[in-house]
Amino acid sequence: MLADWTQQEVLTGTTIMAVEYNGGVVIGADSRTSSGTYVTNRTQDKLTPLTEYIYCCRSGSAADTQAIADHVRYYLDFSRISQGREPTVRYAAHVMQSILYNNRDNLSAAVIVAGWDEVNGGQVYCIPLGGLLVRQPMAAGGSGSTYIWGHLDAQFKPGMTDTECQEFVAKSVSLAIKRDGSSGGVCRLAVINRSGVQRRIIMHEDLPKSYDG
Amino acid sequence: MSSIGTGYDLDVSEYSPEGKLFQVEYAHKAVESSGTAVGICCRDGVVLAVENIVTSKLYETNCNRRVFHIDRHIGMAASGLLPDARAVARHAREEAADYRQSHGEPMPLSELASRVSNLMHAYTMYSAVRPFGCGVLLAAFENGRPQLYGVEPSGVYYSYHGYAIGKAKQNARTEIEKLKLAELSAANGVKEAAKIIYSCHDEVKDKYFELDLSLTSAETAGRHVIVTGEQWTEASNYAKAALEEHDSDDDV
Amino acid sequence: MAMLEEPSCPGFVFDNVLRNQHLLAKCGGGSQADAAASSTSALPRAKKTGTTIVGCVFNGGVVLGADTRATEGNIVADKDCSKIHYISDRIYCCGAGTAADTEMVTRQISAQICLHRLSTGRLPRVITAKQLLKDYLFRYQGYIGAALVIGGVDYQGPHLYSVAPHGSVDCAPYITMGSGSLAAMAVFESRFKPDLDQGQAVQLVRDAILAGIFNDLGSGSNVDVCIIRQDGVEYLRPYLRANEKGQRAAVYRGGKPAVLRTDRRPVLADIISTRIIRDSGAAQAAGETPMET
Repeated sequence: MLADWTQQEVLTGTTIMAVEYNGGVVIGADSRTSSGTYVTNRTQDKLTPLTEYIYCCRSGSAADTQAIADHVRYYLDFSRISQGREPTVRYAAHVMQSILYNNRDNLSAAVIVAGWDEVNGGQVYCIPLGGLLVRQPMAAGGSGSTYIWGHLDAQFKPGMTDTECQEFVAKSVSLAIKRDGSSGGVCRLAVINRSGVQRRIIMHEDLPKSYDG
Repeated sequence: MSSIGTGYDLDVSEYSPEGKLFQVEYAHKAVESSGTAVGICCRDGVVLAVENIVTSKLYETNCNRRVFHIDRHIGMAASGLLPDARAVARHAREEAADYRQSHGEPMPLSELASRVSNLMHAYTMYSAVRPFGCGVLLAAFENGRPQLYGVEPSGVYYSYHGYAIGKAKQNARTEIEKLKLAELSAANGVKEAAKIIYSCHDEVKDKYFELDLSLTSAETAGRHVIVTGEQWTEASNYAKAALEEHDSDDDV
Repeated sequence: MAMLEEPSCPGFVFDNVLRNQHLLAKCGGGSQADAAASSTSALPRAKKTGTTIVGCVFNGGVVLGADTRATEGNIVADKDCSKIHYISDRIYCCGAGTAADTEMVTRQISAQICLHRLSTGRLPRVITAKQLLKDYLFRYQGYIGAALVIGGVDYQGPHLYSVAPHGSVDCAPYITMGSGSLAAMAVFESRFKPDLDQGQAVQLVRDAILAGIFNDLGSGSNVDVCIIRQDGVEYLRPYLRANEKGQRAAVYRGGKPAVLRTDRRPVLADIISTRIIRDSGAAQAAGETPMET
């Protein structure tokens, strides 16, 4: 009687990515959340703030990643109060990693932690399914990323400017949106640098043009 | 500074009517009667130096060092009772390792100083324990910034440009004040620190001493290293030469 | 005599999960469904409400809507059940999924919110209720089958969230959940506009629930609506009876038709063969039919 998707876990079939540029990082994501074949939310915000300077891009189970993000946010808030300074991106990534690794059998979550700090500037840390932690100048994740790795490798260059980097991320995410059935909706962007975070939304009709034939 | 306890020193946690904690003051005495320890923040690093008094010629050299590694990037110099200093060092090492484990990055010195201070303060509050009979200097070169903290047996701690504890702390502090710390390179700082230790040493009271030197600087890539070999000889020769020059000046 | 041991921790107990699985396996059915169909000793199944629940924000508050059908497999277990649950004076919560779970989870959170209100002396916020529900459901990893739409008004204005059984939360100006959510979502997607007034919002919610009632087998009966504004709550139950029993178009006279005419005719027949049965026992033993004409 009940449709299959009512019984299934809500998953963010996703495209997420983060790229370091010369003054910080740019992160981007699509906005589709699905449960089986049903899109449960077409305007999801997968760019979740951890602090004023650190964000995470979530992919995998929506419930798991939201709960973990809440946990990490708590740790970072505590760290800020006890140490009297903004937590480093590396610490945020480390907290995220230890939660993901220690509970790897019960979680399906892969996240990218990205942000800016006084010590090391803009940083991107990638934490895939098993709880590995690696720093990368550019990271992409979610089902949509498989369609765009070639494009990313071909077009990425270290030390891009702010606008170059935003264009690169917008283009990459929109390519993934068009090829991946589980990614869709709008493209959300955020630029994180010394002055904090600026958010941007690129509506579906304004996504960068590519071959549509 | 401190007076005789007159019955108010039978318990660590006992105040005198003047609001003094005699046991804590006695612990300070233990530091004041020990070899001088000096820490100097230089332009590109931090130097620690200790006048390690040797009470018998039969001791092997360098087996009772008073500078300690706490973490790869943190060093500690101690003045006072050596076993107490070792206990503090062990605790500090555990804190630093614990921080590394839970934070995935090296411990900031400010954080370590706070934890060490907490420990030393805790030992002034319970009747079952006695305060640590040592003061420590903690040094690190973090993200291009030299850092020096001094923690006393009472648990009081401050961040310093340069600091000295132990027997000749007043002399040593005056000598440090004469240095131009903002211009001094760490390599020269090692020599200056050695010189201060030599100049503060009282040959009449203590015949022999070893010079313990350690350094963390841009040159060592932020790692804390014990100064040995050529660099140590150079520093100690520089100190001796300066001292002789000073003495000959006196003769004139 | 020893007393029954009290459970040491509050909440659900999963002690019997393994035993139940073992029993199911013994019944010959791999899954619960197979066992229910094939065996008499199958475990009873929880009542699941195939449901349409929705919520919609308007310029002065939130409207929640729900159908009133509760099902047990193919049977309608309750034709007028209540699916909009009270959380606090300005927060309500629609529940879909396992009826017992939605009922208990909302009661539990309602109690916590009440205690929180008393200890802080402040009116509860919707986000607090959302977070409590989410944490609670996440802790049980989807085993509490409650899909919720939580809406309300606090000092920051109207808020609307959905919470899925595994503990994921979505925030949107209009939300549908339950088996009828596709039908209801179609209504919202085609007609929702930002900054609706209350009348428009209620109309939209009504139509969304009706879409569920008429197009989803799991949903049916009436439309319940709950309008939450800063200055008060209107809980309309039922807001609309969608399947009112129809009036009979005409009344027919009872009795038999009258006999107007009688006509008797004799029927003539030729006898083709005759057999005389002497002994019924012998005849049967011989395999012959007892009588034939």
